[in-house]
Amino acid sequence: MGSLAVELFGKSLKNPVMNASGTLGYGVEIEPLWGVDTMGAYVTKGLSAAPHHGNPTPRVWEERCGMLNSIGLQNVGVDRFFSHYFPLFVERRCPIIVNFFGFSEEEYLSCARSIEPHDLIVALEMNLSCPNIKMGGISFGKEASAVHAIVRSVREVTKIPLIAKLTPEVKNLVEIARAAYEGGADGLTLINTMPAAVVDVKSRRVTLKGGLSGPLLKPVALRAVHECSQAVPIPIIGVGGIMNTEDALAFLMAGASAVQVGTATFVDPFAMPKIIAGLDSWLGASGLAGISAIVGATHG
Amino acid sequence: MDDIPGKITGNDRVTGNYRRLTVRLERSLGRVSPGQFVMVKVPDRDIFLRRPFSVYDSRGRTLTIMYRVVGKGTDALSAAVRRAPLMVLGPLGRGFTPGRGNTPIVVAGGIGYAGVRMLLKRLGDRATLFFGATGKDELRLAEDLGTTRVLASTMDGSFGFAGDVVGLLGHHLDDYLGKKPEVFACGPSGMVKSLKALLEPVRIPCQVSVEERMACGMGLCFGCVVATRDETNPYKRACKEGPVFNLWDLLL
Repeated sequence: MGSLAVELFGKSLKNPVMNASGTLGYGVEIEPLWGVDTMGAYVTKGLSAAPHHGNPTPRVWEERCGMLNSIGLQNVGVDRFFSHYFPLFVERRCPIIVNFFGFSEEEYLSCARSIEPHDLIVALEMNLSCPNIKMGGISFGKEASAVHAIVRSVREVTKIPLIAKLTPEVKNLVEIARAAYEGGADGLTLINTMPAAVVDVKSRRVTLKGGLSGPLLKPVALRAVHECSQAVPIPIIGVGGIMNTEDALAFLMAGASAVQVGTATFVDPFAMPKIIAGLDSWLGASGLAGISAIVGATHG
Repeated sequence: MDDIPGKITGNDRVTGNYRRLTVRLERSLGRVSPGQFVMVKVPDRDIFLRRPFSVYDSRGRTLTIMYRVVGKGTDALSAAVRRAPLMVLGPLGRGFTPGRGNTPIVVAGGIGYAGVRMLLKRLGDRATLFFGATGKDELRLAEDLGTTRVLASTMDGSFGFAGDVVGLLGHHLDDYLGKKPEVFACGPSGMVKSLKALLEPVRIPCQVSVEERMACGMGLCFGCVVATRDETNPYKRACKEGPVFNLWDLLL
């Protein structure tokens, strides 16, 4: 039997499947259906140094093959996460990736500083899609120089491996990926949601502006993973519209060392356990020694 | 909470665009509190996310939902035929918690009846239902209630009190004030707002079931929040901390 285990930043994960940040609450919410330790790792909801209330409703909208969300990064704050929600992961021995954000360099730094290294913390995942208030609200992730600078600053204040989660809404994603790597990122998560809008024809108004997720994002994400994984020598975590085992395999073959499942969980709360089981049977039938053997299979 | 496959056994029009769906589940939903809901995967490829519906009735492996066709999800559901397979996640959320020894007043507007129907069945003759409808035909929604006392209002004046249900309740509220009244409500946001205005001077206990657009239905996405008076954490999830809230905690 081949093994689904993967090694990421020096830690062994029992499989390459994790949730996308913000799509599995604080983890505890899924427990009535399946244990968080089913996954290779749990990715936290986006955390910030201070709690955030988030946006008024509507926050979500359905599209034919996906959805838009504008949650507004509602979260209890990093301290409360560790005092209140982290003990579950300790009890389950479930590794976590801590997704965090800030609206200024200081906020990123203060959040990263406050997180002590822990056996179960695989990495910090920086959300770079946030608007930089000091730069007139342009997102940190849009310019290579800004990505380089913010990653480098955060890199200096923490010993925990650092992942940059990139927005696809850029002129040249490979250039941004290189900037993150050169700034000191140990890995990349590709990709965040795409900026999108919904128009209500009756009222002639924009109903919601938010991030697009779901199956229609998959080909965009696959291309990002395929190209960036060949441009930088660090692990890539692939995310965007993964609904089933075949989708997850496509991301691994495109060059992702692990995958994140998000919107699929809303459609089928058992999507992740099913994908993990599906990868296991695929691996068994393939005769390969481990799932890592197919990572980057599409590369020439 | 469980995600249970089922098959449609009935999907019939009650009146107007109101319909009643019955589903034979592979397993029972288990214990359902009045006011809890389920997320239904509508059997139509064009409907991506599940849809939330109050549990109208749950008996063994038979689940009943009452719904109004209001958008593309309910439109697709109305076209679903007998034996069509669907998935039902539930029971979800926090339902009504009637206080012992109180006199229950149940207020429902239109399809809001579906959200309080289990509660009414549970309370039996102790409760009075104030039911607001647009017209006489809509009152047929509540025709299966048995002996529970029903006071009805219609917007078009075709039956009972002419006007909205909160106006009707206003005429009767004084009768209840000495009897430890407790209000349970489900209806459109306009109804909830005027209910709050009516009850403001007397501040009697009131639980209200709210409706929000949902993606996951189980607290994962934080998409369905409502604003509350809690200053440190104002936005509460309708699917997890709700859908039933204390009216006096809500910012309307």
